Amino acid sequence: VTGPLADLRVIEICDELGQYAGKLLADMGADVVKVEPPGGSTARAIGPFVRDIAGPNRSLDFWYHNTNKRSVVLDFEHDDGDRERLRKLAVSADLVIEDRAPGALKALGLDYEALDRDRKGLIHCSITPFGQDGPWAQFRSSDMVSLALGGQMNMNGYNEEDAPGAPPIRGHGDQGYKTACHFAVMGILAALLHRDRTGEGQYIDCSMHEALNSTTEVGLPYWFYKRENVIRQTTRHAAARKTERWRYAGGDGKDVLVYGVGRDNASWKKIKEWFQSEGFGKQFDETRFDDPRNRQPARGSPEAGEILAEVGRFFAAHSAEEIYRGGQERGQAWGVIRSPDETLADPHWHDRGFFVPTRGEGLADDVLMPGAPYVLSATPWELRRPAPKLGEHTAEVLGESGIG
Amino acid sequence: MALPLEGIRVCDFTWVIAGPTATRVLADFGAEVIRVEHEQAADSIRLGRPIVGDQPTLNNSGFFNYFNRNKKSILLNARHPDGMELLKRLIAKSDVVVENFSCGVLESWGLGYEELKEIRPDVIYCSISGFGHTGRDRAFTTWGPTAQALSGLTFTSGLPGKPPAGWGFSYMDHTAGYSGAIAIMMALHHRNRTGEGQHIDMSQVEAGIALMGPAVLDATVNGRSWRRDGMPPGNRTWQPAVAPHNAYACVGEDRWIAIAVMNDAEWQALVRAMEEPEWALDRRFATNEGRLANQDELDTRIEEWTSELDDYEAMELLQAAGVRAGVCQKPGDRFERDPQSRARGWWHTLMHPELGECEHDGVAPRLSKTPGQLRMASPLIGQHTHDVLREVLGLSASEIDDAQASGALM
Repeated sequence: VTGPLADLRVIEICDELGQYAGKLLADMGADVVKVEPPGGSTARAIGPFVRDIAGPNRSLDFWYHNTNKRSVVLDFEHDDGDRERLRKLAVSADLVIEDRAPGALKALGLDYEALDRDRKGLIHCSITPFGQDGPWAQFRSSDMVSLALGGQMNMNGYNEEDAPGAPPIRGHGDQGYKTACHFAVMGILAALLHRDRTGEGQYIDCSMHEALNSTTEVGLPYWFYKRENVIRQTTRHAAARKTERWRYAGGDGKDVLVYGVGRDNASWKKIKEWFQSEGFGKQFDETRFDDPRNRQPARGSPEAGEILAEVGRFFAAHSAEEIYRGGQERGQAWGVIRSPDETLADPHWHDRGFFVPTRGEGLADDVLMPGAPYVLSATPWELRRPAPKLGEHTAEVLGESGIG
Repeated sequence: MALPLEGIRVCDFTWVIAGPTATRVLADFGAEVIRVEHEQAADSIRLGRPIVGDQPTLNNSGFFNYFNRNKKSILLNARHPDGMELLKRLIAKSDVVVENFSCGVLESWGLGYEELKEIRPDVIYCSISGFGHTGRDRAFTTWGPTAQALSGLTFTSGLPGKPPAGWGFSYMDHTAGYSGAIAIMMALHHRNRTGEGQHIDMSQVEAGIALMGPAVLDATVNGRSWRRDGMPPGNRTWQPAVAPHNAYACVGEDRWIAIAVMNDAEWQALVRAMEEPEWALDRRFATNEGRLANQDELDTRIEEWTSELDDYEAMELLQAAGVRAGVCQKPGDRFERDPQSRARGWWHTLMHPELGECEHDGVAPRLSKTPGQLRMASPLIGQHTHDVLREVLGLSASEIDDAQASGALM
C-alpha cells in the first residue's frame, strides 16, 4: 500500500451519495470496508452496464466509484446478529462514513453516540442532502434536486435567443454528490489531523446543500455586495450583465473556447503571424490594429468586428483541436470542448499515466478509466484492486476481525 | 473552541480562484495562511467585481473577500535579495507551500521542490496547474472554463441539438481547490506518521476528468461516446434511465422547479400530489419504460401543472407527498428565502476595514468538536507584513525598518 492513509480502517455504509468519499480515501491507501445489504448497494443498479447486461457486478458507475474497497454483506437492517457484527466492525475502525437519512442509523443503534462509547477516537461522518437538522432535513433529494437548491442550475443554461424557453440546466456526472464527498473528505481529514495531535475523535455532519452553497463562484458575492442575481448565458459564466461569447465552432463542427484574441500585444503578434502565415487577416498589419483597446469586442470598434470575422473564417478552415493547440502554443489559454471519452485520445494524459487499467465481470481484457486527481511524490495514488463483487470479502473481513 | 489545523502554517503563493480555494479551506479549519503578495503583480482577483466603490483599489473587492477570508497578507519583493532571504526564512517556518502558477514559474525563482527541501526538509509543496508539471503539454495554461471544456464537464451540460450550456461558473476552480486541500491534508497526515514531506503535482484538468469516470468507462467498455444524437440529455437522466426527470416552469419570471422521479412508487406519489389528473392515469405512464418512451408528452403535462403553481409551494407539496423536488434557487433566494440555511445558522458576517460589515457563507462540513470558524475578513494587501516579520520570523523593529527602506517589502 503506497498511499498516505495506509493506517486507516474505514467502514462505509454508502450508496450513490456518499460512495465517492470512500473511493477518495481508499485510492489513497485506506482499508475501506463497504458494508452492503444482501441485495447490494442501490448504486450497483445504476448503468451503464458491461455490454448493457444488468447485474450487481456489471455496473460501470459502481466500478468507478468503488475502487480499492472490500465488500461485506450484512443484513444489518433486519438481522440482530448482523447488526452486532456491523457494530463490532465499526468500533474496530478509525472512521465510519454513511449516507443514510438522518436518524436511520440511530434507530439501529449504530449512530455516533452509541459507537463512540466503545471506541474512543472514532471519527464518524454522515453525508446527507441537507444535514442532520433543520426544516428540510427529511426532504428527499437527488443529484439534480440538490444542484437546483444549491444554486448551480440557476447559473447554468442559455441566453433566450440560443434556446427560447430553455430551463436552467444540470451538468452531468453526479457533481452534486461529488461536491458533497469532497467536503466530507476535507472534514474527515481535518478531524484526522486533530486526532493525530490529541487522540480525540468526533462527529461530522456533512450537508450536500451546504457544500454546494459554497460552490457557485461569483453567485454569492454579487448578492452579498450588489443585491443582484447573476443571469445564465450560453457556454459561459453567469454574470450580472451580458458578456461577450467564448464559444466558436471549428471547421469540424467541434467547439473551442476563446477568451479574447490577442488581448496583449505580445500574444496579438503571435496570433497575427499565425493567421497571416495561412493567408488570413492581411489587414492586421494596419496600424489601427496596434492599439489593444481597438481589439476588444466589448468596445464595439470596427477593428474588433473585423478580427472576429477573420476568426470565424480561420476557425472554419481548421479543426477544433488544431485551433486549441495552435492557440495554446501561442500563449492563449484556449480550450476545446471534448466529450469525456475524447480525453482518452490526448497523449499528454498518457505521458502522465493518468488513465489506469481496470477489469471486471464480463470483460476478457483490461480497460482504461481515469486515475489520480493528484500526484503525491512520496505516497502516490494507487489502484490496488478493482471495485469489489457483492460480498466478495465477507468471510475474509469477518475472519480477520475475529467476528463469527 | 480548538481548530483542527491549529499550528499548521501555510506559505501561500496562490492567486485567482483555484489556489485560493484550497487555502480558504485550510484557513477555515484553522491553519495560519500567509499570502505572499507583491503590489506590482497583485492577484487579479483583488480587482475582481463585485467591488464596493467606483474603482478597484486592490482592497475593495467583494470577490476577493469571498475567497480569502481568514488569511494574512504580507508584501515581499522576491526579486530583491533581502526579500528573497526573508521569503526563504518564511518557507523554513512553513509546513506547507502552495502555488497555482503556470508550470515552471516557481522553479524560475529558484524555489522548485528540490530547493524548498533544502530550506525545509519536511515541507509539503503543492502545485496546482492546468496540465501538471510533467507531460508534453505541461506549458499549456487554463482558466476554470478551459479545464471544464477539456475534461468533458462542459460537453455533458446542455440540451441535445444545442451548444453546450456550461457550467455557468468555474466549477473546476472550486473543485481543483478542494482536491488540493485534500491532497495537502493527506500529506500532512503522512508527515505526522513518518516525518516525511513531499511534492503534490495537481493538474486541474485531471481533477476534472476524474469526475467523469462512468462516461469514460462507457467508451472503453461499450465503445459509446457521449458525442452522439440525443446527447447530452439536458435535465433528463443518462443513467439510471428514469422519467420524469426535468426542471419545470412555475409562476413568475424565470422560476423553475426540478422534479426527479426515480421509480414507480415515486411516480404514484407524484400522481397523488397532482390530484390524479386523468392524463396521468394513462397506462402508457404506469411503467418507467412507458414514461421514458413518452417523455416529451410527460414533461409537457407536468409543466402544465407546475406553471400554475408558486415554485416554493410546489416543492413543499411534492416533498410532503414523498417526491424529490427542489426550487432552482437564485443566489438571492438562497440568502433571503432558503429556510434550511437560515435555520442551520449558515450565514455569517465579518468586519472588513474598507468593505464594512460583509456577509459570508459558513464552513462545511460541521465538525462537532473542532468546527471551522470565520475569524477575520480577507486581508488588505500587506496588512500583516510587520506582524509576520516580527512574530513568525523574529525580526526586531529596526530590522523591519531596514527591510522596508531597502525595498524588500513591496
